[in-house]
Amino acid sequence: MTDDRPPMRRLFEPRTLDSIALVPKIATYTLLLLWTLIVLFPLYWVFVTSFKIEVQVDSGPYYLPFVDFWPTLDAWDFMLLQNNTLGPYLNSIVVALASTCLALLIGSLAAYALVRIRFQVKVAAVLTFVVLVIAIIVAVVALDVPWIVALGVAVALFLLALATFVRRFKAAVGNNDIEFWMISNRIMPPIVAVLPIYVMFQHLHLLDTQVALISTYTGVNLPIVVWLTRDFFAGIPLDLEESAEIDGASKFRVFFTIALPLVRSGLAATFMLVLILTWNEFLLALFLSNANAQTMPVLVAAQNTTRGPQWWYMSVLIVIMIAPVVVIAGFLQKHIARGLLAGAVKG
Amino acid sequence: MTLKNRVRKTILAAGVLAVTALPAVAGEFDGVTVNIMTQTGAIQEPLQRRAPDFEKLTGAKLNIIAVPFSDLYQKVLTDWASGTNSVDAAVFAPQWMVDYVAGGYLEDLGPRIAKDTAIQWNDIAPFFRDFSSSFGGKTYLVPLDGDFHMLYYRTDIFDKAGLKPPTTWDEYLTDAKALNGKEFDGQKVYGSCIAKKRNAQSYWFVTDIAGSMIQSKGTSQGTFFDTKDMKPLVDNEGFRKALEFLKESGKYGPPDELNMDVSDTRPLFVSGKCALNLDWGDVGVLAIDPKTSRVIDKTGSVLTPGAKSVVNWATGKLEACTAANCPYAIDGVNHAPYAAFGGWSGGINTKAKDKVKDAAYAFFSYLSQPAQSGVDVTIGATGFNPYRVSQMTYNDVWKNSGMSKVAGDSYLGAIGASLNSPNMILDLRIPQNQKYQQVVLDEAIARFLAGEIDEEATIKTVQDGWADLNEQIGTADQLKFYTGTLGVKR
Amino acid sequence: MSRREATTQPAPENPNRMSVAAVARTETTTPESRDEWLDRNSGCIMVLPAVVILLAFAIFPLIVSTYLALSRFALVGGSFKLTFVGLYNFRRLLFGVQQYHLLGTFKPFDWPEWLAFGVFAALMLAWLVRYAARAFTVLGFVGRLISAGLATGLVLAWLGTLATGAYEGTLLTTCVYVVVGVLVQFLIGLGLALLCAQPIRARNWFRVVFFVPLMVTPVGVAYMFRMMADMQKGPFAPVSTALGLGAWAWATQAWSARLMVLIGDTWQWTPFMFIVLLAAVENQPRDQLEAARMDGADAFQIFRDITWPAIAPVAATVVLIRLIEAFKIIDMPNVLTAGGPGLATESLTLHAFIAWRTQDLGGSAAVGYLLLFVSTITCVSFFNYVVRWTRRHQ
Repeated sequence: MTDDRPPMRRLFEPRTLDSIALVPKIATYTLLLLWTLIVLFPLYWVFVTSFKIEVQVDSGPYYLPFVDFWPTLDAWDFMLLQNNTLGPYLNSIVVALASTCLALLIGSLAAYALVRIRFQVKVAAVLTFVVLVIAIIVAVVALDVPWIVALGVAVALFLLALATFVRRFKAAVGNNDIEFWMISNRIMPPIVAVLPIYVMFQHLHLLDTQVALISTYTGVNLPIVVWLTRDFFAGIPLDLEESAEIDGASKFRVFFTIALPLVRSGLAATFMLVLILTWNEFLLALFLSNANAQTMPVLVAAQNTTRGPQWWYMSVLIVIMIAPVVVIAGFLQKHIARGLLAGAVKG
Repeated sequence: MTLKNRVRKTILAAGVLAVTALPAVAGEFDGVTVNIMTQTGAIQEPLQRRAPDFEKLTGAKLNIIAVPFSDLYQKVLTDWASGTNSVDAAVFAPQWMVDYVAGGYLEDLGPRIAKDTAIQWNDIAPFFRDFSSSFGGKTYLVPLDGDFHMLYYRTDIFDKAGLKPPTTWDEYLTDAKALNGKEFDGQKVYGSCIAKKRNAQSYWFVTDIAGSMIQSKGTSQGTFFDTKDMKPLVDNEGFRKALEFLKESGKYGPPDELNMDVSDTRPLFVSGKCALNLDWGDVGVLAIDPKTSRVIDKTGSVLTPGAKSVVNWATGKLEACTAANCPYAIDGVNHAPYAAFGGWSGGINTKAKDKVKDAAYAFFSYLSQPAQSGVDVTIGATGFNPYRVSQMTYNDVWKNSGMSKVAGDSYLGAIGASLNSPNMILDLRIPQNQKYQQVVLDEAIARFLAGEIDEEATIKTVQDGWADLNEQIGTADQLKFYTGTLGVKR
Repeated sequence: MSRREATTQPAPENPNRMSVAAVARTETTTPESRDEWLDRNSGCIMVLPAVVILLAFAIFPLIVSTYLALSRFALVGGSFKLTFVGLYNFRRLLFGVQQYHLLGTFKPFDWPEWLAFGVFAALMLAWLVRYAARAFTVLGFVGRLISAGLATGLVLAWLGTLATGAYEGTLLTTCVYVVVGVLVQFLIGLGLALLCAQPIRARNWFRVVFFVPLMVTPVGVAYMFRMMADMQKGPFAPVSTALGLGAWAWATQAWSARLMVLIGDTWQWTPFMFIVLLAAVENQPRDQLEAARMDGADAFQIFRDITWPAIAPVAATVVLIRLIEAFKIIDMPNVLTAGGPGLATESLTLHAFIAWRTQDLGGSAAVGYLLLFVSTITCVSFFNYVVRWTRRHQ
């Protein structure tokens, strides 16, 4: 097909939807390359800094290795061989993977149940519960009751309340409210939660362990998992599951064998997002870890010393922190976009 | 790797001595793990470097946990106060000892020190044995570092400009103004570099200046509060002048001085970009590190400048120095060198297991013994500065470290002069001093320098803030602690 | 979690009704297999772990923090003591000696401020009246009253700090980060998504590259930008000198320091906006696009009439997610300037963090709580007025 439009139109308007005219094309590439530069330059700077030594940084700036400064592996040597970097690195890997998987499992189970099963929770039960929790805390903090006793009494009282007066009240909250409650927990700033969590783990003698970090991150990221996965589950057709149920499969079987595989793409996106959030988390890790469970972000921050930030060491750490995530993200990239979209449409 | 070689050489030289002097028996602490917390970077460096040797000698496994300076006080406190006790020992500021002792967290090290000959306790300068290690008559900490604020200046630049190092704050400003922006050896220099960043280690510097006008009658006079009634010594012309000095010195400093901690000014001075600099002893040794320094043998150290007129406490007005109000004046100038911070020292958690305590003490003793510490104080990266009598004179260790006789005499002379000054300022060592300085003072100074509040408002903020804290914690108790500290034997 | 009725959707009249009490009864009378019991209670069992974890890591801390916020913390020989002080911590922050820190230093209003405030208050009032006249529900009205109250309060605080000699507190600084940051990130993200959705080569490459900043740990990003922004030895030092700025001292002026924080934040979070918006743009109805092209609509018309309506719900949701996270900003200001110059770059989370570091646990919890109030009201308002609205009008 020949293009017989006037030249000006040819420059500005594409022939078909799948092509692009010259002027917009140039503009598009220019802008995209500009942003690419903005994104990559700081990363490039970190990368080259990891090959510098102190004096090259302090008397800088030097831009090009081999051209205006001579790169060395000093910082890499120190960080990888002499310093205890492996410990925090392994901690980060274990904590990030374990808590992401846990959050994904628990969150998607809950999300699935919230989509497929109707719940009604009596308002009276919720109120009783809240009152009891406050009572426990007051008892433990102000009256020095051992927490295990307080918890036991509270559970007993709660069950008693369920079996008696709670049943008389009608008002109840439904699935939407439960979902909203779960998701809204994400709004809470970590700084509000961190001290009580610290005290809790201290009572359990779990401070400075991977377990503490894994469970905290699971809790913190659960709302996101529920938020995103519920929409994936809502999007799958019901008949598949129904026919399986007629065949006698339990809800759990249906969930694991039918529902989960159907939302692979969404799970991949959620996995990626939660993994990035846990892998990079700093504030909670700073509070909850000391020697044994220290994670990488804390180690990065620790390179800021009384002799000034040790840029070269810090850069090495940043580079080895980004590398694995970039690789995973490269593989999952397509899923991420699709998955996030599905989640964001309905929220 | 000249530095490493140098270190290795000196360590080897001292090695024989070290092994024989160590009280510990090889394998004595097999299977014992000690968690030691301190700040990142300097301080962490020597602990980390010495740990493997100590492990070889005794079998104890040492875990050095480093956190940023700003988190250290609270991290240790939270760990000990909450009963977590994952930290067995810590190296921290002796100022904080008051709070830790009040909580009953620190082990009394007196008996151990009495039995330990290798540590050569009497070699430690009396001030550090007292201020940095004991409280209420008991010894809780092992000093590992000596800390004074000093004035550093570039000898080459001052020579070329025909100037003498400043002895008063007014001269400091004049010199800084004259030198700022001038080019020397192809490099433009800033007249003055003083750390002024908020939430960092810069809140000490105001006391350098204010103190030299407020305290003139000797160490026991004090500079923070009136020893009669704990009234903050802030609303006076001396403190006002100190504020003005900080603001004006900024005009002759790096443009982003407000965002600079000592960790930023140190590399700046060492890379040759400052003519004048106020800092702890670290700069003197950083300046001789051939790897980073461009000011080797171009660095002079002197007492912090002083003032020719001092505050009359009754009126708050400045009055010219006379023999009566400035008994310790040198050439009519009242100097008040500030023992800011006091020097990093090691303390042990009383809740740790006995064997762990012994291992931790053995390690601190090992670090403090002249064989090790004599070397460590000559290395910039350690953050340790001289605190033993044997380190105060120029000797072979200093020579091996690369410090010339001239530089050494200047550096050690300044430290000695500060240490021996009868009008030295003791740092605040009353309960919760961190709130007085790191919160109230730091924030007020930062806001003043940023132009958020004016001089009067700054003074009012500090005065009210301190008075408020006194009231909260108990003025009478605080007064007792304050006067108690000032009465230290020197 | 108590009595609940589990039914399979969508049939509400499912015979499979049951309750906890019923379970207890059946257990005692007819023995049933473990599997059957599991299956009948699958709903509870599936949700229970999530609920327990949220109770432990969200609700429990929230309640303990309430207690902390209402008390004063003090170390007492070997342990600590909490003294109940009522609303003292909040009073101190909102009206007392710490007001300058949270809300700012105010100067009295002049007539332009009164005028601006009057206009804004009138707008809010009009909005409330309109709602009341159209579709009134008590809950909806109370919700709008709270939103309007917060907005008016913030505007009041903002106007009060406009005059010379007045300074913003941490609350307004946080709002600047949130509003400006999210807006800029959204606009850049949308622009990039639109560009990237065009039929160009190397699309996937751009997509991967643009995604990378999200993967760097925020502390790392903060240090990275401190390196970038170093006008002595950073990469832009020669540029700044060449422009005649000398060593540009961005850290000494309130607004340039805030700008630097925003630049770092934008670098990190634009990818998040971009990646979701790109997916939405690519998902827009193709047939409508083609039809519009046929009719000769120009690019702007197409965007306004087809693309924007198609992506609006996604856009609203992605902004909401970002809003939630933006309120928690701490790493960037902490690393770049430690909250300085003065208090200029201190965010609420950093404020709470610094208070915590100095043992003021009550004050720290109170600041955290105020942050929670503000961000909850903002996010819920945004959800109700914007996100829901875009979904209704799709």
